[in-house]
Amino acid sequence: MKQATAANHCDIKAFCCPKSGNSAEEYEDAWAHRRAPIPAAVRVAVADGATESSFAKLWAVLLAESFVRSELADAEFFERLEPARRLWRRRLAGRPLPWFASEKAAQGAFAAFLGVQIDAHQNRWTALAVGDCCLLQVDNVGKRMRVVKAFPLQKSSQFTMSPYLIGSRSNGDLLDERIQISKGSLRDGDMLLLATDALAAWLLKQHEDGRPLWNWLYRKLGTPESFAAMVAYGRKNGLRNDDFTLVRVIHHESPVEAKER
Amino acid sequence: MAYQAEISRKNPGCFLFLVDQSESMEDPFAGAESGNGKRKAEELATILNKLIHNLSIRCAKSDSIYDYFHVGVLGYSEESCKPALGGELSGRSLVPISELAGKPLRIEERTKQSDDGTGGVVDQTVKFPVWFDPYWKGGTPMCAALKDATKVVETWCEEHPKGFPPIVINITDGEATDGDLVAEARKVTAVNGEDGSALLFNIHLSSTAGPSIELPGDASKLPDEHAKALFEASSTLTPFMVARATELGLPATENSRGFIFNAQPLHVIHFLDIGTRPANVRLR
Repeated sequence: MKQATAANHCDIKAFCCPKSGNSAEEYEDAWAHRRAPIPAAVRVAVADGATESSFAKLWAVLLAESFVRSELADAEFFERLEPARRLWRRRLAGRPLPWFASEKAAQGAFAAFLGVQIDAHQNRWTALAVGDCCLLQVDNVGKRMRVVKAFPLQKSSQFTMSPYLIGSRSNGDLLDERIQISKGSLRDGDMLLLATDALAAWLLKQHEDGRPLWNWLYRKLGTPESFAAMVAYGRKNGLRNDDFTLVRVIHHESPVEAKER
Repeated sequence: MAYQAEISRKNPGCFLFLVDQSESMEDPFAGAESGNGKRKAEELATILNKLIHNLSIRCAKSDSIYDYFHVGVLGYSEESCKPALGGELSGRSLVPISELAGKPLRIEERTKQSDDGTGGVVDQTVKFPVWFDPYWKGGTPMCAALKDATKVVETWCEEHPKGFPPIVINITDGEATDGDLVAEARKVTAVNGEDGSALLFNIHLSSTAGPSIELPGDASKLPDEHAKALFEASSTLTPFMVARATELGLPATENSRGFIFNAQPLHVIHFLDIGTRPANVRLR
């Protein structure tokens, strides 16, 4: 009998590295991916803990994990964050902190978030975002790969140092107004890139300047070393110093791992 | 291009505060928010404590604090200028923010009202560290203070040649008694690193009543000659600072100077970038 699984439709690889000058322990982004409970779908998330907040790594991890373990792919996901918030608070409870750390923790941690559900059966994706982590969809049809979608930001000039982010303390902020949702369709060979802000801005800038890296990302990026080489090249060519996270998803319309059993 | 250097623990920024402790600071402060018979010296102490407090919170990271900045306070009164931090930090011109945060003179407990999450307010006890107490005596040797500031920033730039240029913030009622403050100010801002020259901002606490003025682009609306001289002595904001000030709701333009008249200058410490700042964190 012929059997296909959702994961068979997507080749997923994740790459990351900390800000130059920081240790690996100080990396504050997070990423996660998981086959969703509904058939033939995968869920992928990236989150970027804000430098100017405390315990941001923990919050970024909780956000990314919450998304991939959830079944929600709409604004309701953000209404169901209380368990993650509770976990964040619990991890800090009773911890002796000096006055400045205690006051900073009281503000909560903040992170940008992007979650994508890929419904492989229907060749469609749905993305949720708050902040400036970006989804870039690039096709692989003609000689030149085309950007089909950039979400939620479209141009490198739209990135700022003060985006609206998701807080680990629900303090009455009007999050609804900041949630962005987008949907799109997929063709065989399409590449989805989920990137944290500095990397997304730089990839878009390279594209705007006529030096796109799409082909390289599609065909050459494969190992941590190749990602490090790209970051090293970027640092000499306008890539802002930050933590970097990139999840690359390549969609295959036919179940590539379908096997006779 | 100048003023692009990244601020990090390896390459920290520098804030040097010059604080007027002359006799005229005993006079009432006329600022709209904090009038009510408060002396200028008391307002100055409140401002400085809040600035150091906020800078400490800004640099706090999980259970520690990152030395993104070194901070100094020089006080000027009578005939001289000297380091004004007290306690264990006495005599020091510049101190890493972690050490400053860990060594206030005392930590007071104060009550403030905060949102209870259901539309009401509750009294909350908060810690209020104090590094600096009000003091006033004698004349206003502001030029001597600017001379000393020039020496401190020269040394800083020699030790951190690739760093973001130091920012000197002078808090005063503007009545220098020892010379031409604009000429001395020019010497501070002539000190260069590879990333540009030092910046001088002035916070004017006046007894002259009138609306507060923040980051003006010209001196036309300033109320007196002291304010105009301080405006003249102030550096033009960098493009990043103009953008950040605009984000924070201040009326900044490309000609804006680092000059504030009778207003709280807490936004100033956010003019330097140390990484992503959530837009939804309210400034205190």
